[in-house]
Amino acid sequence: MVEPLHEVLARSALVSLTATVIASLIGITLGTVLALARVRGRRLLTAVVNTGMAVPTVVVGLVVALLLWRSGPLGDLGLIYTVRGMIIAQVLIAAPLITGITMAALQLLPPELPDQLRSLGANRIQLVLRMWIEARLPLLAAAMAGFGHAVSEVGSATIVGGNIHGQTQVMTTAIVENVSRGEFGVAILYGAILLVLAFVINGLLASIQQRGASWAQS
Amino acid sequence: MGAELRLTDVRHCRGGREVLRVDALDVEPGEHLSVLGPNGAGKTTLLRLLAAVEPPSAGAVTVDGISTSRGGVELRRRVAYATQRPGLLSTSVRRNVELPLQWRKVPRKLRRELAMTALERLRVADLADRPARALSGGEQQRVSLARALALDPAVLLLDEPAAGLDAQSRSAFFADLDQALADRAITVVQVSHRADEALRLADRVVVLLDGLVHQVGTPETLNRRPADASVAALVGYENLVDVVVQPDGAVVVGRAPTGLTSDRPAGPATVAAFANGIRLVADDLPGVPVRISRVSPGPGHRAVTVDGAVSLLAHVPVHAPATLTGESARVVFDPALSAVLPRL
Repeated sequence: MVEPLHEVLARSALVSLTATVIASLIGITLGTVLALARVRGRRLLTAVVNTGMAVPTVVVGLVVALLLWRSGPLGDLGLIYTVRGMIIAQVLIAAPLITGITMAALQLLPPELPDQLRSLGANRIQLVLRMWIEARLPLLAAAMAGFGHAVSEVGSATIVGGNIHGQTQVMTTAIVENVSRGEFGVAILYGAILLVLAFVINGLLASIQQRGASWAQS
Repeated sequence: MGAELRLTDVRHCRGGREVLRVDALDVEPGEHLSVLGPNGAGKTTLLRLLAAVEPPSAGAVTVDGISTSRGGVELRRRVAYATQRPGLLSTSVRRNVELPLQWRKVPRKLRRELAMTALERLRVADLADRPARALSGGEQQRVSLARALALDPAVLLLDEPAAGLDAQSRSAFFADLDQALADRAITVVQVSHRADEALRLADRVVVLLDGLVHQVGTPETLNRRPADASVAALVGYENLVDVVVQPDGAVVVGRAPTGLTSDRPAGPATVAAFANGIRLVADDLPGVPVRISRVSPGPGHRAVTVDGAVSLLAHVPVHAPATLTGESARVVFDPALSAVLPRL
C-alpha cells in the first residue's frame, strides 16, 4: 500500500521539529554550561561535543538501534521501529551541533558581558537569559542547523524507524525506497517537496533572524 | 546615602602572579575617591573587587561592613559599576536603562520614569528609542552612566568613564557627570590613568603602581608633595632632574643653584618640576647653565627644550621675549611648581 504523500510529509515534519525542539533544549543548556561555567572536565566534554558533530548519522542510528533493539538494554521500552525511537536518534544527531554552535556563540560575546550583567545586579538566571538574548541570532542559527541536519538524514531513520509504510516512513526513507525501485519521478517529487519543507521552515527562522539583526544594527 | 568601603590586607593574584596588594584602604560614605595609575597598575582589578564581581585571593573587601565574598546579589545591587567599555545591550537605549531596574522588581511605570530622568540628566533622553549599539562612543558612555545612576546606588564605580572620547566630548562629559553627582551623597570610586580626570572630582586620590599603593592624599597634596618621582610623573610633572641637597638646604645641579631649598637630609635627590615652573633667565644670572635646543609653539605658551647640565622642558608665556635655538641661558625652578623628592 502506498501511503499518501501528505502523511509522510507530516511525519517528517513532526519527527524533525520535535527532535529539533528537544535537541535545542539540551544543546543550548549544555552549550551554555560549557561556555560560561567553570566545570570540571570541560575540555573533555567539549571534545565529545565536537566529535559528536562529525559522527555519521548512520552510526548514530546503529547505536540507537542496538540500544532499542528488543533484546537490547532499552528493548523493554518498545521504541524500535517507532516514531519516538526516530526522534531519539535525531535528537542525538542534532544536539551536538546545537551545543557546539551555542558554545561558540556565547564565547563570541564581549568577554566582559557576564561581569557587566552581574555588576548591574543580574542574578544567575537573569544573567543566562540575557546572554541568550544577546546571542539570539546565532542561537537561532544553531536551531536551524539542527533542523537541517535532522530533516535531511536518512541513515538513522532507516535503521531505527525501519521505513514502515503508514508508521515510520519519512520523506528521506521514501526517496531511498523509490530510487531503489526505479521510481525516479516519485523520488524527485518527494525530494522537491522535502526541499520546499526545509526552505519554508528555514526561511521562517531566517526572516526572524534577519529582522533581529537589522534592528540591532540600524 | 553612600556606603563605606574598606579593603583590609587584600592580595589578588591572576595566573599565579600578584596583581594587587592593598594593606588598608577606607572610603568614607559619600566620599569621591580617584585611583590614578598607568595601564596595568591594578586599577580595574581594584574596581572589580569593590563591585563584587570577583572575590580577592586573600583579605577582605567590605561594603558597609558586609564582605563582598558573602554579600551576594543584594550587595551587588547596592553598587553600580560602569565598566571602561560601555557594554550596552543589543536593545533600545531606554530598555538598557530599565532592565537592571526590572531585575530589582521596580514597577513598570516607576522604572520608565527613573530611566527617563537619568537619561535626561545625561542629556541623552532624545535617544531613548534608538538601538543602543548604534550610538556614538560618547553617547554610549552617557547611556552607560545614566544606567548606573538610575539604580540610585550607594556606591558608583567608574572605570575610565571617558575613555575613547575626544578632548571636547571628554570635557562636556565630565561637566555633566559633575552635575549628575552634585545632589547625591553616594560614594564614588573613579579610576583613570589621566591626572586631570583623576584630580578633578576627587576628595582623595590613591596612586597605584604595579599593583601597590604608592600614595594616598588630597589632590592638593599630590600636586604639591608627590611621594616620589613615579608619582610625580603620573601627576603630570614634565621634568625630573637629579640634584644634590647641600647641608645648608640649597638644592644644586653640580655647583649651579636651582633656586630651590629643601629640608631633606643632605645628599642626592630628585627635583620634579612642571614645565611652567621652569624660568629661563639671562646667562649672567644665577641658575643652571643650559643651551636652548628647540622652540615650538603650544596653546598659550612656547614649548622650549633645553640641554646642557640638565635636559628640561619649559613652557614660556607667549608674551615673554622670544628665545632662539642655540642661545645660552640659565634656568631656575619656581618653588611653587617644583618638589624635591628622594632619589629613586
